[in-house]
Amino acid sequence: MAQGAVHHEPHHEVSIWPLPIGVGVLLMPISFTMFFHYGWQLPGLIAGGVGLALILVGAAGWANEHFTAEKEEGFGWVGILSFIISEVVIFGTLFAAFWTARVTHADEWSAWVPEGISLGMAGILTLILWASSFTIFRAETALEEEGDSGKALTWVFLTFALGLTFVVLHVKEWIHLWGEGFTLSSHMYGTGFYALTGLHTSHVIVGLIAQIYAMWLLASGRMNREKPTMLRATSAYWHFVDVMWMLVAGTAYLVGTAAL
Amino acid sequence: MREAISVPYLKAGLKEWIFTTDHKKIGILYLTTTYIFFLVAGLFGLVIRFEQNSPGYQIVPPDFYNYLLTGHGAVLLLWWGIASHIGGLGNFLLPLMIGAKDVAFPRLNALSWWAFFGASVLVLLTLIPGNHIKMMWTGYPPYAGNPDAGVTALYVFIIHLIGVSSIATAVNFITTYIKMRAPGITFWNTNMFVHALIAANVIQLVGVPSIAGAVTMLLLDTYLGTNFYNPAKGGDPLIYQNVFWFYSHPVVYVMILPIFGMFSEIVSTFSRKPLFGYTSMIFAIWCITFLSFIVWIHHMFVSGVPDWARVLMSYTTILIAVPTGIKIFNWMGTLYKGAIILRVPMLYALGGIFMFLIGGLTGIPNAMVAIDLGISDSLFIVGHFHYVLGMALTFGIFGGITYWFPKMTGRMYPENIGKLSFWLIFAGANIFYFFQMIAGILGNPRRYPDYPPIPEWVTLHHIQTIGALILGVGILVYTVGLIKGLTSGEEASDNPWESQSLEWRLPSPAPVDNFGDEPPKVEPDYHPYKYGAPPAF
Ligand code: HEM
Ligand SMILES: [Cu+2]
Repeated sequence: MAQGAVHHEPHHEVSIWPLPIGVGVLLMPISFTMFFHYGWQLPGLIAGGVGLALILVGAAGWANEHFTAEKEEGFGWVGILSFIISEVVIFGTLFAAFWTARVTHADEWSAWVPEGISLGMAGILTLILWASSFTIFRAETALEEEGDSGKALTWVFLTFALGLTFVVLHVKEWIHLWGEGFTLSSHMYGTGFYALTGLHTSHVIVGLIAQIYAMWLLASGRMNREKPTMLRATSAYWHFVDVMWMLVAGTAYLVGTAAL
Repeated sequence: MREAISVPYLKAGLKEWIFTTDHKKIGILYLTTTYIFFLVAGLFGLVIRFEQNSPGYQIVPPDFYNYLLTGHGAVLLLWWGIASHIGGLGNFLLPLMIGAKDVAFPRLNALSWWAFFGASVLVLLTLIPGNHIKMMWTGYPPYAGNPDAGVTALYVFIIHLIGVSSIATAVNFITTYIKMRAPGITFWNTNMFVHALIAANVIQLVGVPSIAGAVTMLLLDTYLGTNFYNPAKGGDPLIYQNVFWFYSHPVVYVMILPIFGMFSEIVSTFSRKPLFGYTSMIFAIWCITFLSFIVWIHHMFVSGVPDWARVLMSYTTILIAVPTGIKIFNWMGTLYKGAIILRVPMLYALGGIFMFLIGGLTGIPNAMVAIDLGISDSLFIVGHFHYVLGMALTFGIFGGITYWFPKMTGRMYPENIGKLSFWLIFAGANIFYFFQMIAGILGNPRRYPDYPPIPEWVTLHHIQTIGALILGVGILVYTVGLIKGLTSGEEASDNPWESQSLEWRLPSPAPVDNFGDEPPKVEPDYHPYKYGAPPAF
């Protein structure tokens, strides 16, 4: 782009990638409405599949355009920080629902707590996320301070492995609890528990996708010491997911099971 | 002024419009779409008006009436109230006013537009009879999850897609303002429109996720059997109302702050005086932004919330009147001893300030719990918010469009048509909404197609219909003016209003790359409102 004094012929800026993502984003609600509201399973699944494919293709093309054609402006950092503010509020709405129910239904609550829910599991999950916040921090310093992409790649990979373990253990925990009859619709504890942990895990998964992408960028040399914003953003997001987990676990596990 | 060849941004092929990442073209796409939605939702409003003209059912069945009312509210709030001036004028003007080449994330901006476009498609889908949404724009459970209320999923996803678009735009605009101001453009000489736009987007950033959470819980309750709003299993429908209004009160300031910003631009230019109280204006904007998040209970005075919450938020609501009053005072101060020039943008700005004044004054009684218990959910409320929201907003957007029309199109908006449309709209709106408030005080509830045949009420409804018709004709005349201006309007010079503000230093219509590769150089004492001498026009 702009390189000092070189004169550029003014031209129309275009990119073909936002459009397919936009169409994909539109197909998601249409898919849900067909599937759940009208009960048209097959068309619903097809619309959802096409939508997802469009989003992935669009995102890949977009990313490629960004990393091959442009110089790094470093705006991404401010962008991700403001986005995280928004995210906090989304969690806030579920906390509001959970805590209100916990307070106004304190007398019935103990009957809702399932046998198999274990604070030990919450503890293990917490340790895993703590470790992963440390590893991604190391990845960042490796890239920004030492300029060592290989080392950064290793640390991102460790983060990814920890994150994946978190998801697997968490899903096992859900299956176990669900089998005990503790479901989304049993009562407000079930609803609040799965909603909070589910929303959180969906964020972990977004973080994992970002890490896969960061690893590819590091391995292919597209991201380096001069262009570290993507890794910084991934890391900021991951720290947010980690901090949020403490609030989620504190609510879904501790406040949920404590006898008040 | 740049000597290099300037390519007008408008001169682009179809492909360049569809795949554009240019903030100006994206702004025009928003503005056109929202204008069309405004006209259609306005027609819905006229049908609603005719239905209420006399007691009994007149022209539409009650079920369809509910659809019309839901569509009217949702589209006018979300399309006209937010997207027209944030996505539309905001996109077009923000980079021009701060001397930037584009927004911080041009592709994300295009994605915002496509998500908004998706929401528009979903709205069009609700036109199909089986797809109607009839839960009113507020979507309160338990009714909103009831089959009678229509396709809950579509209601929820319309808000989701608008939400995605809004959050992405907020991230984009805030980053743009922080990072991309040209050297010399500081917090203390930024245009009032930009200050207001950024404050509005801060509200969006914090608020939109809240309504998104509210409707997501509604969706889960309706389709996946969760219990958020189900009291039988520990949930609580009031959660919805709280989380919904935590955004939906502040959103009225998302809607009105940029309008205030436009009033400031226009009033200063057409009084040929610096904006009075510039600093206090910025202070007022941020006060309002903060206070707007701690008043939401005033929408729930009759919902069964504790007294302490009602009293507390009654006070905070009244407190907001202070910064709002400061703004009105400042516009008056700007006008005072100014060389006032009554061109079309100025007429609309002054009319809009008047409408806001009436709306603001009728808002204060709503804020008192004891009074609101009597008038809540009456036509008084509807009259009140059509003054502040419906009309102050529409006057602002109409004024803004005529003011920046030269920069957007290279032509002037026709003066005579503009003046005619203004007086029609001003007269029609006041006849309509003033008597609507009276009907409300007499006890006429809102949202019903029918009412008892009390002679006084019937007369009041007839008067309202006449007002609404005049208003409708006025909007039509304004629209004709837009088309005439676009096709055969007088060619505009670069700075027809002799404004001091940065965006007017560009050719009309603006060139595709704004100021070129280098940021514009502004004088050390640059200020957008540095007026003194009377203009030559
Ligand atoms: C000047 C200060 C204002 C005050 C004191 C005020 C006060 C209120 C109150 C207390 C209500 C709730 C009434 C009820 O439902 O019983 C209300 C409703 C409403 N206000 Fe305002 N308001 C103000 C400004 C605004 C502005 C600037 C807008 C929009 C730009 C606005 C738009 C609305 C809307 C749309 C409703 C109806 C909400 C519904 O569907 O129930 N108000 N106002
Ligand atoms: Cu409010």
